[in-house]
Amino acid sequence: MKNYDKILIIGIGNCGRSDDGLGWAFIDKIKENLPANFNCEYRYQLQIEDAELISHYKVVYFIDAHKKHFDNGFIWLPCSPKATDSFSTHELDPETVLYLAKNIYNKQPETFILGITGESFELQIGLSKVAQQNLLSAISFFNNKVNTQYIKAIT
Amino acid sequence: MTQKLVIDPVTRVEGHGKVTVHLDEHNKVKDAFFHIVEFRGFERFIQGHPYWEAPVLVQRLCGICPVSHHLAAAKAIDQIVGLEPRDLSLPAQKIRKLLHFGQIFQSHALHFFYLASPDLLFGYDANPIKRNVVAVAMEYPALAKKGILMRKFGQEIIKLVAGKRIHGISTTPGGVHKKITAKERNYFLDGKDIPSIDTMIDWSVEILEFIKEYHQKNKSFLNTFAAYPSGHLGLVKKENGFLELYDGNLRAIDAMRNITLDDIPNDDYADYFYESVEKWSYLKFPYLKHLGKKKGWNRVGPLARMNVCDGIETPLAEKERQEFMAMTDGKINNMTMHTHWARLIEILYCAEMMKALLEDDDVLSNDLLRKGERRSEGIGIIEAPRGTLIHHYEVDDKDRITRCNLIVSTTHNNEPMNRAVRWVANNVLNGKPKITEGMMNQIEVAIRAYDPCLSCATHALGQMPMQMQLIDRYGNIIDEKLR
Repeated sequence: MKNYDKILIIGIGNCGRSDDGLGWAFIDKIKENLPANFNCEYRYQLQIEDAELISHYKVVYFIDAHKKHFDNGFIWLPCSPKATDSFSTHELDPETVLYLAKNIYNKQPETFILGITGESFELQIGLSKVAQQNLLSAISFFNNKVNTQYIKAIT
Repeated sequence: MTQKLVIDPVTRVEGHGKVTVHLDEHNKVKDAFFHIVEFRGFERFIQGHPYWEAPVLVQRLCGICPVSHHLAAAKAIDQIVGLEPRDLSLPAQKIRKLLHFGQIFQSHALHFFYLASPDLLFGYDANPIKRNVVAVAMEYPALAKKGILMRKFGQEIIKLVAGKRIHGISTTPGGVHKKITAKERNYFLDGKDIPSIDTMIDWSVEILEFIKEYHQKNKSFLNTFAAYPSGHLGLVKKENGFLELYDGNLRAIDAMRNITLDDIPNDDYADYFYESVEKWSYLKFPYLKHLGKKKGWNRVGPLARMNVCDGIETPLAEKERQEFMAMTDGKINNMTMHTHWARLIEILYCAEMMKALLEDDDVLSNDLLRKGERRSEGIGIIEAPRGTLIHHYEVDDKDRITRCNLIVSTTHNNEPMNRAVRWVANNVLNGKPKITEGMMNQIEVAIRAYDPCLSCATHALGQMPMQMQLIDRYGNIIDEKLR
């Protein structure tokens, strides 16, 4: 049996605001089929304690809705630590959470952001049709990408 | 020319508010207001829903203190199914209290470490870019680690009892729907996976030492800043007047410590409270009817609770309370900035109470539910982190809610926060030729001491620019700052 390192997927959003729930919907769709070394977390927003959380993982994926249009319906980005200069700490971006993990806990997991395009962010339960299509595309991409990463990781 | 300074939104509080300071042509303060500009409508749209949905629905009022709304509503719904708080099984009472103490512990930790500490550690005139918890984490990593783990501990307690950290469900009419297992409670006791409850107590004592030392160094500021005489309101234990957060009598005192509300049972609250409205804020202004609007308003929250109670049942917190009260020779404490100190005494109290409850085998029991005779009305009052929280429901014979009245903690503190803003406006801004960011921040500091919860669940996350505008009497923006 392959001995994968611990991997975390964090879905960010609010399912009460239509396509803002894309991060949660992503986890809902994939979590049943994930290997045992994967953990999933749902978040309304990232906060400073998430730096402590991600410090326990080798690889972390942040999944969030995106307001920008992308041709394939999503964007995949490696995430680098970066200090925020925000005065508000109600919510942090993934780069800042990674920055804090590095500086407070001396840990820097390999981290990626998957932003999935949504079009409706009003008070409503359920994803728009466009968001549903983009979600499926993103999941397909993610599965391929993660499988490739595993192979890379063990070779 | 009359000028108006606007701070919109106020930052590092839960939710959105706006401050306007009205100046005349000589920069003299004419008046100052703290506006609450969010509108919720929970009291109205819960009508028509079956009563058992209330504890689940109303906790959506907030993403920081949903547990408080969940429990206040649950107590009210218990009455509708014919049960007083004492009628619930002991295990159910204890599990609910464990949830409540976990909530207050994590909320107070959030406020002190994340929201208040940047002001204390970096100073009120520090660069606003630095005045946040990320900077605290970078420059005081040991303190930040403790703050993170203390908040996490409280959240894990909530998750244990309610299933998840935000908007979980624990209560059911007449009790709770889940017991705690021995394995689950050991997670909090043995210190193997997370720091143990004993460590939480140790760290709570440490942070109290920090605030006492800080007070020694900054006494003149902390003792005078935004201080003003006021009434104080809170729950106290029915049997001895001690600090009570879950189920007690309502007690209020005036600025001279005269009793103005003499240990009133929860069910009688409506005979004593009234709420007025002002056209410039969505937040109401509660006051004691018999004292009138001018004299009947009260502070609520940690400072008020320290002032109204006769003692604390846990030894370490009681020792700290005595030291706190000795500072004013046992007289009432109206020093707004001491609210931070009082909040930390409550952190210690909650930690001690969580330890006692976790070590109590009653929480492992299956005896979780009671039944009573159906009534048409229920009232639930608890002490939320920010103060006295009142839920009141009436239902029809088809189990539908027909009336709902909520007086939330921050509503009680509406007049006190406005007083604090006026104090800063008059004492810090008045007559100054230029308004600096540090001076503006002091208005926020005064508000922040109350840890107001202005309904954080509704704001647009990540879209909170700090905007300051200077506006003349004709509505022209003559100065503007963004950060």
